[in-house]
Amino acid sequence: MSKYLLPTLIILLLLYSLIKRNNTYNSFVIGAKSSFDLVLTSFPYIATIFIAVEIFNVSGLSYLFADFVAPFFENIGIPKELSQLVILKNFTGCGSLALLENIFQTYGPDSYLARAGCCIAGCSEAIFYVTAIYFSQTKVTKFRYAIIVGILANLAGSIVSCLICKII
Amino acid sequence: MNFVWTSVMLVGMGLLLINNVEVTMDTLLAGGSKAISLCIKLWGIYTLWLGILKIVEHTGLDKKISKILRPIIKLLFGKVDEYTENQIAINITSNLFGMGNASTPSGINAIAGLDNKKSKYATSAMIMVIILNSTSMQLIPTTVIGLRVSAGSVSPSDIIIPTFLATVCSTVVGIILVKLFSKIFKDK
Repeated sequence: MSKYLLPTLIILLLLYSLIKRNNTYNSFVIGAKSSFDLVLTSFPYIATIFIAVEIFNVSGLSYLFADFVAPFFENIGIPKELSQLVILKNFTGCGSLALLENIFQTYGPDSYLARAGCCIAGCSEAIFYVTAIYFSQTKVTKFRYAIIVGILANLAGSIVSCLICKII
Repeated sequence: MNFVWTSVMLVGMGLLLINNVEVTMDTLLAGGSKAISLCIKLWGIYTLWLGILKIVEHTGLDKKISKILRPIIKLLFGKVDEYTENQIAINITSNLFGMGNASTPSGINAIAGLDNKKSKYATSAMIMVIILNSTSMQLIPTTVIGLRVSAGSVSPSDIIIPTFLATVCSTVVGIILVKLFSKIFKDK
């Protein structure tokens, strides 16, 4: 069902453009032109985040940090096996998918931990990454409460994930 | 951001220095290369969606969408100019359809539209855009389902409803927190 959604929307848009007698080809070219600038200006931000994420993972800091917060997470209903996922997910989407695959292999894809992990990974995006890219076109350097609200919202999503998967 | 980045780098590199110094430089370089391969992938994605976005703009469809969403936008963002309102409308719509990376270009345009080009402080409207996109509605979390299929799950789509509920929850909590924080810390 979902695989039809985007192609259908695009076809409808092209038809709409045809009816409106818009020069569809020209519009697309003009839009596509701006992709170069967007990638170029967001690259340094993405690279800077990625380097820190690599260090975070390879150095074992992510394990230490996960161990450190695990007791607190258990109190709010997040199993300790998932604490690393909950933390890593704030930094990188790809990284948390790799972690999810590990959980599948260790506990089986239909276990409670795997299902809850899927919801945690799927319910939101990496706040550090999103913040860095979205502000890349502005002079803004003080993000104020963006990060902390993002982390808290992620945490709320994670708690609900663990709770719902326990019921269903 | 500065604080988190610097502490992760310092503590992480310190740990590597003690435990596994050989891989330190490789790790640093790997981050850069991974960023390049992601950017090339994103370049293709942005090209497609920015092209599509321009068609939406030139046909005037963006104004129609933003007219429908105007009450919601007004509630969440306060007063914004027309261009920004249209970009926010497209951004919310693409998030609702779970387009993931497709919503990034309109989100970035929206933030740029909210920017006054002078202040270095983020406004609460900008933070609202960030939070809406980071707690993005993923109606159907396709990537995760794909992973479950390849791991041999008996019912890979089991997670759709829980994920949807968790997303709604994180989005609502995010919106409430932004509203709350914007009352406590006034925009500069």
